[in-house]
Amino acid sequence: MSRELPRIAEIWVYLSGSPLAALILTLLAWQAGSWLYERSGRHPLANPVAIATLLAAAAITVLDMPYARYFEGAQFVHFLLGTATVSLAVPIHKGLVGLRGRVLPMLAALLGGGVVSMLTAVGIATALGAEPLLVGGLYAKSVTAPIAMGVAERIGASPTLTAVYAVTTGILGAALGRFVLDAVGARAWWQRGFALGVAAHGIGTSRAFSVNAEAGTYASLAMGLHGVLGALVIPWAARLLI
Amino acid sequence: MIGGFTRLLLFQGLGEVLSKFLLPFVPGPVLGLLLLLGWLSLRREVQQDLEMVSAAFSRHLGLLFVPAAVGVVMFMPQLREHAFAMGVALVASVLATVGASALLLRLLAPAADRHEP
Repeated sequence: MSRELPRIAEIWVYLSGSPLAALILTLLAWQAGSWLYERSGRHPLANPVAIATLLAAAAITVLDMPYARYFEGAQFVHFLLGTATVSLAVPIHKGLVGLRGRVLPMLAALLGGGVVSMLTAVGIATALGAEPLLVGGLYAKSVTAPIAMGVAERIGASPTLTAVYAVTTGILGAALGRFVLDAVGARAWWQRGFALGVAAHGIGTSRAFSVNAEAGTYASLAMGLHGVLGALVIPWAARLLI
Repeated sequence: MIGGFTRLLLFQGLGEVLSKFLLPFVPGPVLGLLLLLGWLSLRREVQQDLEMVSAAFSRHLGLLFVPAAVGVVMFMPQLREHAFAMGVALVASVLATVGASALLLRLLAPAADRHEP
């Protein structure tokens, strides 16, 4: 009888030390997030990334698992971000076919949106007295996470913090974007999708795809273009501002 | 499916090599994206397995952000201290970005293209 208890503890120690635990935790959290998102009728505030992140973060805090150890397992999911970035070429390729007169407004929105994103975030945080370590992560926050993390390294900001902001921005954009789009009277799906992709990258794109296929295609186009532009321009712009 | 995935990894690898040795200022995955885009426009059609993998990535893109986002636990003390500043900055900035982009799109869109078809 008394041999049973230490065994369970041993099993737990073994499992929590294996990368499998973090991987399972990540996928379970995502499943729960997706399930709630569907159950809510795809309500923008029930964002699956937000729910999954909160669940996984709460779980590793309760289990007392350091983030570094969590990441040992979760990195297998994280690694695919780069591959997913490459796969964006497919929707971009399809989106490029029917562009007609949309190139100029799209480039203007891309440049305008990118500049507004960086200046408002860095400006407001600095004006409200946030410390430079936290502000540094804001430069690349509207760029999709795998690219944003690379840019952050280049400008000497924390890649993890940048990823956290990028995801928060994505969630906020996916959740609140609709209200702003209605307010400025952007009704066409391609405009709604593109604006969401510029501001809220992959998470906005996920959201756009779940609402309308054309919006999704234009969102991934915007996210890909913003990623390319961001990778080229942000390191240079950050040097000017810092 | 595996064929499409292999092709993506191949382009990602090409991009990483190019980024490492020739264009260090562009991240590898971005170069991979551009290379694949160039290759697709040469071929003019997207093979079915590539299309399938890409659709699967689009559908579950959100999952891939979770591991990095959980990193928020490492910055909790600093973020809590500056929660107001960071919260206002992030919310205001995303609203301004969506608004500015959508407004530019709407104002500059060709006349025939302003509303839902």
